[in-house]
Parts: sequence; structure tokens; C-alpha cells
Amino acid sequence: MSKPLTRTPETSDAPALTLTGISKSFGPVTAVRNLSLQIPRNQVVGLIGENGAGKSTLLKILTGLHEPDSGTIEVSGRPVRFRRPQDAVAAGFGVVHQEQSLLTNLSVAENIAMNALGSQDAATRYGWYRWGRLNREAEQVLARVGARIDPRATVSELSFVDRQMVEIARALRVDERTHASPIVILDEPTSVLERNETAILEREIAQLKHIGSVIFVSHRLDEIMRICDRIVVMRTGELVADVAKDEVTEDDLFRLMIGHAATATRRPDAARGNTAAPVLSVSGLTRKGEYRDVSFDVRPGHCVTIVGTLGSGRESLCRALFGVEPFDAGTFELDGRTVRSWSAAEATRAGIAYVPAERRTEGMVGGLDAKENMTLARTGGKGFLLRRRAQAKLAGEWFETLDIRPRNPDLDLARFSGGNAQKVVMAKWLHLDGVKLMILDHPLRGLDPGAAETLNAQIRAARDRGAALILLADTLEEALDHGDEILVMRDGEVTARFDAGRDNPTSLDLLEKMV
Amino acid sequence: MANPVTQDHRQPAATGTAPVAHRRRFEIRSLGEVGALVVLVVVFGALNPSTFLSVGNLQKVLDQAATPLIVGVGATLVILMGCIDLSVEGVMGAAGMTFILTTLHLRGGVESPTDLGFLSFVLAVLVGAALGAVNGLIHTRLKVPSFIVTLGVWFVGLGIGIILFGTSAQPNLSDAAAQWPTRNLLGLPHSFWLAVVVAVLGVVVTRYTKLGRFAYAIGNNEDIARSNGIPVRRIKLYVFVLAGAFSGLAGILAILQLGQGTPSVGASGAAGSSTLFLTIAAVVIGGTSLAGGRGGILRTVLGVFLLTILNNGLLLAGVDPGYRSGVSGLVLILAIVAAAWPLRSRLRIVK
Repeated sequence: MSKPLTRTPETSDAPALTLTGISKSFGPVTAVRNLSLQIPRNQVVGLIGENGAGKSTLLKILTGLHEPDSGTIEVSGRPVRFRRPQDAVAAGFGVVHQEQSLLTNLSVAENIAMNALGSQDAATRYGWYRWGRLNREAEQVLARVGARIDPRATVSELSFVDRQMVEIARALRVDERTHASPIVILDEPTSVLERNETAILEREIAQLKHIGSVIFVSHRLDEIMRICDRIVVMRTGELVADVAKDEVTEDDLFRLMIGHAATATRRPDAARGNTAAPVLSVSGLTRKGEYRDVSFDVRPGHCVTIVGTLGSGRESLCRALFGVEPFDAGTFELDGRTVRSWSAAEATRAGIAYVPAERRTEGMVGGLDAKENMTLARTGGKGFLLRRRAQAKLAGEWFETLDIRPRNPDLDLARFSGGNAQKVVMAKWLHLDGVKLMILDHPLRGLDPGAAETLNAQIRAARDRGAALILLADTLEEALDHGDEILVMRDGEVTARFDAGRDNPTSLDLLEKMV
Repeated sequence: MANPVTQDHRQPAATGTAPVAHRRRFEIRSLGEVGALVVLVVVFGALNPSTFLSVGNLQKVLDQAATPLIVGVGATLVILMGCIDLSVEGVMGAAGMTFILTTLHLRGGVESPTDLGFLSFVLAVLVGAALGAVNGLIHTRLKVPSFIVTLGVWFVGLGIGIILFGTSAQPNLSDAAAQWPTRNLLGLPHSFWLAVVVAVLGVVVTRYTKLGRFAYAIGNNEDIARSNGIPVRRIKLYVFVLAGAFSGLAGILAILQLGQGTPSVGASGAAGSSTLFLTIAAVVIGGTSLAGGRGGILRTVLGVFLLTILNNGLLLAGVDPGYRSGVSGLVLILAIVAAAWPLRSRLRIVK
């Protein structure tokens, strides 16, 4: 039902977007420095850079959230100035934010029209909704992106991919009003999606260039190479490369972003084939509607990775092991001690560390500074009082080791960028010496390759110290890279288990059992 | 949690995202409240068949429900935004006193010189709206939590009422005016018809106007609402003004029902308990979330009837007033526990 809608380019052949000499500073920190850039019409342009390279600031400038200190923005050759988000919308910019920005209690149609509803729009008259028109318009936009979603459905009932499609549909709606070709900005739209869902989204993004231009931000270089026509690389606030896809390789991009080449990540096989007594032994663990009869062992220095799609039940399983969610049947033994139910506090005391996927909501304590967050799991000493000095020392060391920027442990955690906040949360668990078992739920999600590399090294170091690991990986490659044993789950059941050393599975083997 | 949508994506034939069936989930939780209401009516009907189910008692219940219904509509709108309005009783006092002193009344047996007629009615509602505007302006401009602002305005309103009352004798309404609420139209009391008009207005606002829909949006996530271009401050102000106007109207009705003017008219309404407690409890029992974003006017209507019938039924069953108050409180706590129960699983983050 979706006809790819081709839009005749406007007669002027000016690029869709031209930035000249854009700079933006926050106090002493320069986030974007003298940046000039052109986004051609009907192309997908990838924007990459490490956490803190200035991508987010640039996007905020393009969406009217920040005004640049200097420089000019031209849309289709016409100079514009964005003082408020509405100005950017009026100029044809649509944005899909990294964090979901849908109002989940409203309908799909309302969300798609929301930007327009805030001001005067045909879908409302004198403050009254015209539901019929609202739903019809939403249906049309959804059809253009090829999504079959009921515009009357409430967003909270939608799956994650569908929500993402609604965000894209909403971003596209801008051109209905301006009649200019839209510029759609996608800020890491795939970082929270599973692999098969990503494939769908990639196809949709490729379609988008028929109706406008796309700026696509992602940390997954393979994805960038698949989707984009051009790739723009930023480092420390400056533009370091603007190249056509055919001119570069993934390795080149990595070097451009980080400033040095990627190191080999494969670790020696020595740790495999470990026979020590298991740290954790799970048998027949079941939670109704989530997972059934899951059994496995994890040994010291050993890593079990669990792969599966959304709904496989693996996240719920991990939360049960850490005591933040109950389970219905089965038991697990930690160091030979049988556990039937327990709390996260007991789990922490018993030496389990847990890094949740939703770090923003589950792993952070807002209002506390980075240093305090980092030392939350162990308050820097026994007893009631915090040891301020020990805390500060520890935090300082970890800021150095993980290269957390800005290097200021006293800053409120909420003020760090996504990737850096994530490192703080990771450090909270990594620094515990007594950790016997680490449960990592998508530890690298949303991290740039450089940060991922640092973190990977830290995870490996923890393993070498004898910690056991349960890892829910972002990609199958990551799962294969870390896992001594790989469990595949589908709809709550373990459908396959591979011994990495003996079976030597490929991603295809895993995928086969996942779907 | 099996996710059918994810599974559908695996079909290579799918050109876009998976088809999603039209899912207007029927609200099971409101069914539960309807069930509770039916149970109450059946139980009290069985206990006191002659009194509880009489036409006279039904009319009395509807009359008693009128004030909390009117206040409840405004309170629901405010709570949907994730705010709260505690100023209800103060606003009722100020507006009620404004009304009675500007309309035909007797004071110490002497007829008052002022009688603005219908204008006194409008004036009182405007006093309510003005106090609502004070709530809204202080909350949005000075960024004071609505809990604090409205707590303050509650006592400011009471103070205005007391000043208006002055030191003379208690003002009394003429019999004709005092009988207006309980006189019937089509077999139902006037006071109830007034509440119906307000409730219908509330339903229309929440379903078909930007004001109502944006209130939901703000309650869901204020930051996202703002970044979506919703004029959050303006919407909040309007909703507080509307809630104030409704409280003002309720103040007038409460004075009419009482037949005399007192600044504390909201503290002991027709149902015999505090209007503030009754309405907030009704909103929550109805299933509107105090965190904002979920719920609706019709749910509050259900909540008001649950509490009013509970009170009336217990009274007719001869239960001591002390116990009645205790039972109302327990019902509120039970309702909140029941409402929060299904949320336990929803607290899990949707990935």
C-alpha cells in the first residue's frame, strides 16, 4: 500500500542544507568549532564521532534548541535563524531523537501531528480537535513510510520499532506545511533496536531519501556503511572528514573518529574450557509469561552470553538473578548457596553486579553527582558514614581509566552526555573488588567505538581477575567475541546452546535459533 | 513476554512494519469500579430495601453528589496534568460568600440592600476563576509546586470568605432560592442537572479540545510536551482557571443547598464530609493517576457516586458517623492499592 513518493526537486540546485563557520561554546568548553558543511539533496548523510565530539550540540543547533554563537545556516540556499524548535520545524527539519520523544498516553495520530498542533493547524480549529482529519492525515504519512500502524492506537501499546516508525512519520510530516523537501535527522534511531528490527528501519531510511535528505547519526559503523551516501566525521567539535561512502572503509572511519586504529579484540582461548566450580548455577528457572525452565552454569573467569530478540525473556531472567524481579519456579545456586528469592541488596552483598540496559532510568540516581553515583554500590567504607576522601580518589582514578569527559566527578550525573553517563554507571560496578558475577545488559549500547573499546578492555580485565560474566550483547558479533558459552533464547525458552571453543558457531547459526 | 509484533517482522514479505490490529483496549479497570458500584447498590438495597431504594433517597443521593461532581471535573483536569488543586474549599468559601452577599438575602431578619440577580452568580464564578488564575500563575511563573501554591490559596480563599462575612449575623437565603437545588426537573434535582452540564463539558474538553488533550500530554511527560511545542505554561494556567471557576460554581451550589452563607461551606458539604477529601478521593478511586496522564472525567463521576452511595448507604444502615468516616478512608486506601497493583509490572521499563 505504500507507494514510494518521489518529489520533484526544487528548481534551485542549492544543497538542502549549508552550514558555514558554525561555533558554539558553553562557558569555557567549545562544543562545536568553526564547522562548515553541506548536506546534498536526496542523500543520506551519516554523522559520526565519539561521545562528546559535538554531534549532539550540532543536532541541537539544527533543531533550534541552541542558537550558535557564530556562523550561518542556509536551507535550500535561503539563510535561516532558529530561535525556537518551531522555527526549525517551519524550515522543514524533522528530528527523531535518541531518546524517545512520544507522548505515550496519546494516540499515534496526535503524536504525529503534535508539532503542528502546538501552533495553528488545519487539524484543529479554535482549539477544537478534528479527529477525522487528524487520523486521515496520520494514515497518509504512515503510508508514506510504509508503516501499517493504526493512527487511533495509543502509543504505549506499540512495539518499539513501531514507535520508532511513528517518530519518523512525525519527522516527515513537516513538509506537509512547508512544501519544501524535508531534512530528517535521525539521532541513533537503531541503538535500542534488536538486529532484525534494525534491518527494517534501515530499509525505511533508505526510502526516505526519495522525499528529502537524511542526517543519520549512529555508532554502528557497519550500519553507516550500509545506509549512507556520504559520511561526515566529527572529532572534538571539529569536522575531520566529509567523504563519499565509496572512498572509505570502516577502519578508515574508526581511525578518523578516534585518531588511532582499532586494536584486535579477540582474546586468547586460554580461559575457555574452564573446569572450576561454578559461581552461579541456574536450574529450571521459570517466570510465567517471560521465560521457562532455563538452566546454565557460569564459572569464574567464564562468560555466558545470551542472545535473543525482544521478548525472548533474557532481560527478565537477568533481573531475576539480581533480585529486582521475582521468579515463579526453579532455583539458582550462588557459590553453592541455594537462592529461592532475594533482593538486590542481598545480591550486591553476595557479589553480583548488574548493569541494566536502561541506564538512564535504572542505573542512575539523579541529583547525585557522578562521584556519588559511582560509589553508590559500596559507599566507600563500612558503616554508616561515607568516606568522602576515598570516594573522591576512587572516582578520580576511574575517570582517568575510562576517559570520562568532562573530567569532573563533582558534576551532577544528569549533565554528562549519554555515553559518558553510561561509563560512570559501569564504573560503579567495575570498581567493586569483591564482584564474583557481573550481569551486563547491553553494556555497550549507545557507546562510540572508542568508548566501547575501553569498556571492553575493562570487562576483560574483570574476567581475568576471576569474575564470572553474563552478557546480553548488542550484536551477535559481540556475543561471539565474548562468550565461552552462548545461549540462544526464543519466546522464553532456551532453543540452543553453543560451546564457543568446541562448536565454533557463526552468527548465522545463532540467528537461525533466534527466529 | 512474547511480542507478536516482533515476530511479524521476521516475515520477509512484510514491506513495512508489521500490521497492528486496531486496539482500543476496553478499560477493564473501570469495569471493576462499575462492578463495585453495583455491589454497593445491591448490598445496601438488600439491607434497607424500603429506604435506600426509594425515589426520595435516590434524589437525595444525586443532590449530594452534585457539588463533588462539579469540583471533581476541575480536579480531574488538574490531576491529569500531574498537578493538584488543594484550594477547592477556600475558593468555594470566597465564591460562596461573594454570591450570597450580592444576591437577595436576609441578615438578622433584615433584607439586604444589594441584589445583583444573575450577575451575582457570574461574579462568584469569576472570583473562583480569579483564585484559579492565582494558583496557575504562581505555579507556572514562579515555579512553585502546585501542592504548595494551592495549599496557600486554600487559606487565602477562606480568609476572603471570612472578611466578606464580616461581623454581622449569618446571611440567610430566601426559601425560594434555598429550595432551588432540590426542586426537580424531569424527576431529578436541579443540582444534579447542573453537575451533568459541567461533567459533559468536562468530557468534551478532555476528548475534543486542545486544552484537554494537552493536559494529558503534560501529565505524561512535561518535558516532551514542551519540546513538542505545547505551550505548557498557558495550558496549565487555563486548566487552573477552569478548575477555579468550577470550584466557584460548586461554592454557589453549596450555599444554595445550605440556605445560608458561611466561609467554611466547602468543609462540610451536603454529603457531610470535606469536599476536598471527597473529590480527590473520588478522582483517585475512579482510576485517574495522581502522577498524571491517565484517567478521565467519567472515571471521576464513577468515583463520586461510589463514595456518595457508600456514605448514604452506611448512614441508612445506622452506622455511627465515626465509623462512616473511617470506612471512607479505608476505601480510599484500598482503591489506591488496587489501582497501583497492576502497575507493578508496568514499572518495568519497556525496552
